[in-house]
Amino acid sequence: MFDLKSPAVMARYTGTGSALFGLALLNGLFTILTLGIYRFWGKTRIRRYIWSSVDLGGNRPEYTGTGLEKFLGFLVAVVVLAIYLGLVQLILFYFGMHFVLEPKSEAQALMQIAVVYISLFAIMPLMIFARYRARRYMMARTRFMGIRFGMDKGAWGYVWRAIAHGALTVVTLGILLPRQTFWLEKYKTDRSWYGDQKFTQDGRWTGLYGAMRHVLIGLALVVLGFVAMVVAGVMAQGSSGEDLSAIAMIGIVLTFIGLLWAAIGYLYYRVHAYRYLMDNTILMGRRIFRAEPRTGRIIGIYILGSIAISLIIGIGMLLFGAIIAAMAAASQATGGAPGPAMFVLIAVLYLCVFIAAGALGLVFLIQPIIAHFAETLTLTDPSIIDEVQQRAYDPAADAGGFADALDVGAAI
Amino acid sequence: MTAPEVPSGKIAASFYDGLSARRQPVLVWPSEDQRMLVLETSEGHQFLWQMNRLRALRDQSDEKSITLTLHSDEGDEAPRDPARLVVTDPLAILWFRRMVPDLGKRDVHAGTVRKVLLWLGAATAAMVLMLFVILPALSDYLAGHLPVETETAFGRSVMRQVEWMVKEEGAGDLTCTNPDGLAALNRMKDRLIEGRDLGYDLQLSVFDHKMVNAFAVPGGQIVIFRGLLDKAEGPDEVAGVLAHEIGHVAARDPTRIALRAAGSAGILSMILGDVSGGTAIAAAGEYLMRASYTRDAEAQADRYALGLLDGAGISAEGLAGFFDRISADTDMLPEYTSSHPLSAGRAQRAHDQAGMQGDTRPSLDDDDWAALKAICAKGD
Repeated sequence: MFDLKSPAVMARYTGTGSALFGLALLNGLFTILTLGIYRFWGKTRIRRYIWSSVDLGGNRPEYTGTGLEKFLGFLVAVVVLAIYLGLVQLILFYFGMHFVLEPKSEAQALMQIAVVYISLFAIMPLMIFARYRARRYMMARTRFMGIRFGMDKGAWGYVWRAIAHGALTVVTLGILLPRQTFWLEKYKTDRSWYGDQKFTQDGRWTGLYGAMRHVLIGLALVVLGFVAMVVAGVMAQGSSGEDLSAIAMIGIVLTFIGLLWAAIGYLYYRVHAYRYLMDNTILMGRRIFRAEPRTGRIIGIYILGSIAISLIIGIGMLLFGAIIAAMAAASQATGGAPGPAMFVLIAVLYLCVFIAAGALGLVFLIQPIIAHFAETLTLTDPSIIDEVQQRAYDPAADAGGFADALDVGAAI
Repeated sequence: MTAPEVPSGKIAASFYDGLSARRQPVLVWPSEDQRMLVLETSEGHQFLWQMNRLRALRDQSDEKSITLTLHSDEGDEAPRDPARLVVTDPLAILWFRRMVPDLGKRDVHAGTVRKVLLWLGAATAAMVLMLFVILPALSDYLAGHLPVETETAFGRSVMRQVEWMVKEEGAGDLTCTNPDGLAALNRMKDRLIEGRDLGYDLQLSVFDHKMVNAFAVPGGQIVIFRGLLDKAEGPDEVAGVLAHEIGHVAARDPTRIALRAAGSAGILSMILGDVSGGTAIAAAGEYLMRASYTRDAEAQADRYALGLLDGAGISAEGLAGFFDRISADTDMLPEYTSSHPLSAGRAQRAHDQAGMQGDTRPSLDDDDWAALKAICAKGD
């Protein structure tokens, strides 16, 4: 029972880097030894650990998915995808061949490249489908206080909406991105359940424009930079002078700053769109979340995490390099050519770096970001949850298998 | 260390009944015969949990608590009852860990092994069917229905790409243009294909590059590298290799194999996933698979070439000699890893064929052979 005297509960995150690192390292090792099959069990163990690291008023969520069902779901997905992809790729390539000419101009060369990318559009609907299914599986396998979350079917409805919204955003040069973000999130939230209670996404899509502000500032700077460059170019035709190159220089600097600003602004947009959408999520008639993650903190995690990872990997590679150099020197001293032991060692080094990089990324980037999102989440009205009743078990047949096969979806 | 004592009296724990989202404080104690765990809520409701069915959740973050559940073969994704009991009392945790041997047991639903085997078999069968039956058959069908002009245009594009790949920086057009050399090459071609309809208008070119190789691209176009002419010990060697490439053209191999490759691209890497070395393994797997397709095609082209040589009255010894000389370089690895059959075997078959041939005469006279060897020489 939540303490009724405290009206809001802030989440804590208790996971440690060392525990997760051990888990990830073991997963990487087993995954290689089993030619990739263990990854479904590995992913499941990581999720169990991360879910159970969140603490909301002394209650921890539970991830109940199993590696076995994930493996089976993957097999199902592989059969479907192998048939679909094989046929679609072959037929697209066949028709693509009709457009291939000996490239005589740059335009023709570009068109040929475009033809190659048509097959990407064939996979895109499946990737969107996979993302919805993966989220549904994740919801169906998450419990809080013993009660299942859930999500209704509706992946195909999501696919065409996502494509239509995406196209609209592209056509309007990103101006309608908030509309896309809002309606797609609303589609998913409105199909989500906690026990027998349904979530509702409240709010308006125009409410996300506040979050867009830094993207827009960045783009404005880029436009200004371009204008400056064009002005410098036009004036250069008339006269010559050093002040012109100064204007061009300013244009270049402005464009560069604008691009950087827009990139960070996009991160700001993602964070603040999440805040807006969470704050307007309704369960049992109330806004039950307050989300306050900060963009600056996330950038900080990225920077510090990247430095830490590079340092550790760098030191590790130096050590290995020294060992290999020593072995090479030893084999030369005895007059022999570098033996197979050398190649085995290099292969092992490659795999070690790969496993370590994955594990370190989890520990220094992914977990800290999850922790930040968890620790800035408040359950504003926990007492109402008492009335929520259990919902039926969802078999969720593909268990996120499409996302695993197409390599889309969440970081964990 | 002795077994910890049964916690004196009753211990306090938290209970989620799996029916509603409520955490209930409960008192927990083992029954007298130790076979049951008794849970009592503050309202006085009692639950009896069988000790041997107790399981603890795995990979949990909180080291100061254990979450207990019951083994139960129905309903959930894992064979577990939806109810949960969270114990934080350190002594009680120790007691559970020592007294319930099955606490960490992994259970699976009945019939799981059968299900896994069934799906594994179905998935494997579907993949094999796709990669080795459907895609090849469809590629062959489509290759047969591709208009020759389209094929030729595609082949030219491939040729330009190859030229671009092998070209050294700054080098100009690689195609050799000496008219006497080209005339000689065409005479050799005409003699080989005399009276045959390949379905294409054969076009030969020579690339000015030191590689000892030749290849056919879609649309009846064959490229010979200068290196092959330089290393050849006589015109019959070149004729043999040319006959082999004509064999590929006759079977539409370049088009068929390009279509198959497009269909199977990415399927293996999808299965192996984004694991370390996965990409490398997938690439190797795709290579082996393609090699098995092409090995058959190569053997067929060899047979076709021997037929052409025979018909034109050119000795197969030339081809045999060529295979003999390259076998030192090509036969270091077992056949199944290679896109071509072992050269030693190919040489042997050509030797055998030569032994059965009647009168033969060289594929080019000395003047033409000299002209062909000089095909890449720049004009005066």
